[in-house]
Amino acid sequence: MKKTAAKILSVMLVLTLVAACFTACGGKTTNDPSPNGDTDKGTIFIGGTGPLTGDASSYGISVKNGAELAVKEINEAGGLNGITFTFDMKDDKATAEDASTGYNALMDAGMQISIGSVTSGSCAAFGDLAASDNLFFITPSASAANVIEKGSNAFRVCFGDPDQGVLAAQELTKNYKNIGCIYDTSDPYSSGIYDAFKAEMDKLGASFILQSFDAENKKDFSTQAEALKGCDVVFTPFYYTEAGLVAKALVAKGSSAVVYGCDGLDGIADQIEGVDVKVMYITPFDANSTKENVSKFVASYKETYGVVPDQFAADGYDAIYAIFEAMKAANIDDADIDCDALCDAVVKAITDPSFKLEGVTGTMTWDASGACTKIPQIVELGQ
Amino acid sequence: MSTIMDGLSLGAIYALIALGYTMVYGIAKMLNFAHGDIIMVGAYAILTSLQLTGNPYLAVVVSIVVCTASGVIIERLAYKPLRGASPLAVLITAIGVSFFLQAVAQLIYGSKSQSISLPDFGKVAIGDVKINVSTILTLVIGGVIMTALTLFVKKTRTGRAMQAVSEDKGAALLMGVNVNRIIMVTFAIGSMLAAFASLFYLMQIPSITPTLGSMPGIKAFTAAVIGGIGSIPGAMLGGVLLGLIEKICLSIPKIAPYTTSIEFSLLIVILLVKPIGLLGKKIREKV
Amino acid sequence: MSRYIANVKKQFKFKHITTWLLVAIALVILIILSNAGALDRSTTGLLSKIAYSIILATSLNLVVGFLGELSLGHAGFACLGAYIGTFAASYLRESIDSKLVVIILAMLIGGLVAAVFGLIIGLPALRLKGDYLAIVTLAFGEIVRNIFKNLPMFGGAMGYASKTYNQKELFIIAFVAVIIVLILMQNLIRSKHGRAITAIRDNEIAARAMGINVTFYKLFVFVIAAFFAGIAGVLYGHFTTPILYTKFDYNFSIEILVMVVLGGMGSINGSIISATLITIINFELQAKLSGDLAAVRTLVYAIILILIVVFNNAPALKPIKERFSLNHLKAKRNAKKAAVIHDDAAEWNRIETKVKMDTVLTPDLPHNEAVTPDKPDKPAKEDKENG
Repeated sequence: MKKTAAKILSVMLVLTLVAACFTACGGKTTNDPSPNGDTDKGTIFIGGTGPLTGDASSYGISVKNGAELAVKEINEAGGLNGITFTFDMKDDKATAEDASTGYNALMDAGMQISIGSVTSGSCAAFGDLAASDNLFFITPSASAANVIEKGSNAFRVCFGDPDQGVLAAQELTKNYKNIGCIYDTSDPYSSGIYDAFKAEMDKLGASFILQSFDAENKKDFSTQAEALKGCDVVFTPFYYTEAGLVAKALVAKGSSAVVYGCDGLDGIADQIEGVDVKVMYITPFDANSTKENVSKFVASYKETYGVVPDQFAADGYDAIYAIFEAMKAANIDDADIDCDALCDAVVKAITDPSFKLEGVTGTMTWDASGACTKIPQIVELGQ
Repeated sequence: MSTIMDGLSLGAIYALIALGYTMVYGIAKMLNFAHGDIIMVGAYAILTSLQLTGNPYLAVVVSIVVCTASGVIIERLAYKPLRGASPLAVLITAIGVSFFLQAVAQLIYGSKSQSISLPDFGKVAIGDVKINVSTILTLVIGGVIMTALTLFVKKTRTGRAMQAVSEDKGAALLMGVNVNRIIMVTFAIGSMLAAFASLFYLMQIPSITPTLGSMPGIKAFTAAVIGGIGSIPGAMLGGVLLGLIEKICLSIPKIAPYTTSIEFSLLIVILLVKPIGLLGKKIREKV
Repeated sequence: MSRYIANVKKQFKFKHITTWLLVAIALVILIILSNAGALDRSTTGLLSKIAYSIILATSLNLVVGFLGELSLGHAGFACLGAYIGTFAASYLRESIDSKLVVIILAMLIGGLVAAVFGLIIGLPALRLKGDYLAIVTLAFGEIVRNIFKNLPMFGGAMGYASKTYNQKELFIIAFVAVIIVLILMQNLIRSKHGRAITAIRDNEIAARAMGINVTFYKLFVFVIAAFFAGIAGVLYGHFTTPILYTKFDYNFSIEILVMVVLGGMGSINGSIISATLITIINFELQAKLSGDLAAVRTLVYAIILILIVVFNNAPALKPIKERFSLNHLKAKRNAKKAAVIHDDAAEWNRIETKVKMDTVLTPDLPHNEAVTPDKPDKPAKEDKENG
């Protein structure tokens, strides 16, 4: 009896292993052309990964929405010399492992060019693989320094973490006296900005009160607020969800400190509604801007998804346009081009000094390092 | 001093959650891993009813009803068929329920954190330390619930039946106790406590996400074990102790990043020195 | 020596090697497919994942299924292996040219470090049982990753930027590791040590009375399981970069536990199959469901998990399950008229009570555990294994 069971199990094992490779092989055929039937020059497949489930999923979903909107607009306007685009984003739950799985799946599905990953940790894994294939990617929002260091194929739309830290240190020491800082020790984005911030503060000879938290304790900030309540300004280099809680905790402790953050704070407006606090943040994107392209983007995003776009959506939107414009500048007219050749052409076009993108997150240029140069704005909210 | 007050208010929340864990463990002898997620359900119930009616008191009532109902439904559908099965199977089902609730919440409300504003009760000053009234309220209500629960278990008929079920299911059955009903009532009470916990949680941390319940759930479970799982005063003690330790660790920048390690190391040390927790019931070793 | 070989020959049974032999055959087929270019990148990546999942699941099965202790911190050992193993590899690479030798040494180092911690976490296991041990192991897993998060030499929150191995070759190394682990594990289980371990699971006191060194064997199992988990961690570290501490949270430990439980506790074959299937299902769902549908994955996963566990374990469903089970069908085929055993949950001797026949005779007070009493003609089973 036991023997038969073992035999059946063993046969099943072999079957599953073999089935595994065949089902996965089947993935190759999923690269359906876009529904737009009027194309005769084929489609270019843009891939990307981002957290669509889990704690960070709001960022991934925003980027996805922004990117899909851009792809739709481009295709409706006739695409690139008749070439249309398809876009797909795989869920990576903001983990490195799932980002590489997603990368492999996208490559099998015929990805030619990419927007990388949404979060820094995932994008490092994505970039590691992309460097070996020489696949061009321009990440909307992965801001850690190491994301674009792996190869010449890596670019980004957002500010780098170190740039923001340095800029914040300079701004804060210029305008305020008692400076406080709180950061998330478990988050690459937050730690990256903090490291640069601290280095710059040391260089400027300024001192500040330091507090920290981590992923396990990121809800209740009363202790940290207690230590920071005497400051004029508190530097909060992390995302808006926690920053909103920090702002509320500071107000609850009777502090009148200004909350000063980076681009992750975009979206904080709903969080601090009715709270008497002044929030300032460095951002490339302001949904209330009167610039024509921004208001057009905000209006059509609102119409499609029913919400006001945040900075992630704008970054996703700009990443797609960066790819589109660079491909246009490189005169790509063959939709079957492989990722290697496409990468070389696009890198050449995008690093050309004359290349400039008027995006919704500002006017951007790129250099060979992959970092994006654009002018930051400082948005003020409240009080 | 202020750190201690913060620790107390956090500890009071842990204690309330831990009470739910301990009730269910003490009587049904199962770890309800989904308890933390019931808090999340309660939080979303408060949010939705507040958005619909604008009346915070009604929202609290709705949250209590929703939590109790979901606790009972979960017990009926997922745990009852497993009565008498191995504890591990029940534990894994509870984990499945926890995933299920989180996924449903994300599908309905999205993963974005939603902010909520509950009425503020203001502050009172004791000496030069200002204390939130909600903190005191959390502690007082926690204490009241604890006393009420102890009295309920000791004095009422249902409570005595609970004790009987906890002692020996078979014997209780023979004595005419409806074991299934008692366990259902236990779940109802445990989930009702979760509704209170979600209310006090939101008063201090006004932000709701689908994963809101998991970390407080684990911390509260740790608290329940430190205090001695199955013991009602133990859950209170463990919760307050854990809240205090967490806040004291966080207030020292050098050791703040290691807070989680310290909390869990404390758990291991306490269990090694006193394997039944601080106030746990003594179990005689088999020879 | 010749007597020894003769002895081995006599005891050799083909069924003892079927498991790893089949894995080896599958590997050979896969290598041929890979060389023929029939495997795409997703599949080679998936194969590495399957390999380390199998190692993790089977090694956890040693603790949960064979020793009978619940561990929720298995990810902690994998975390140790991943960080330490790849860290060691980065130094070894400077002095050793062969990538293969480096990864083998890294696996040994990662495994050994994890084993040392297995010994440390095995010590509480001597004092604690059941749910308490589960929470201690959970705490251990959280402590390990919390500490790695705060160590700057491992990159802190940025994760440790390990050097990945070519995925086309990694799966071969990983499956060879799987085969070696399987051979070691099955020999262990069939040896007298394996029988001692299952004896402890079935009845610790009886085992102690038989002269089995319970302390030694409990520690032994924790150390071995940790060693294998460490190896799996090193494979993980060479599969993807950076190594992020967030991966090794308790959800990961639970995922491994789910593999063990669905495959059947105490069944190595079952663990292999369920680890393979769950990894494939996760992978397929991830690759196919993109966008907003991704949230459905968790939902489907949770429902499947609940349904399978309830179906496999619910006492009320037992008669139905038995009717459709393989053994039953086989019995029907072989015996012309098999005796039908009615399973009545309300039968007097099925009602749980803590009065045990043997404890009645001891001066000690009854214990707090519910057991089915002995029946003269049918020896009672204390621990039901459920699959």
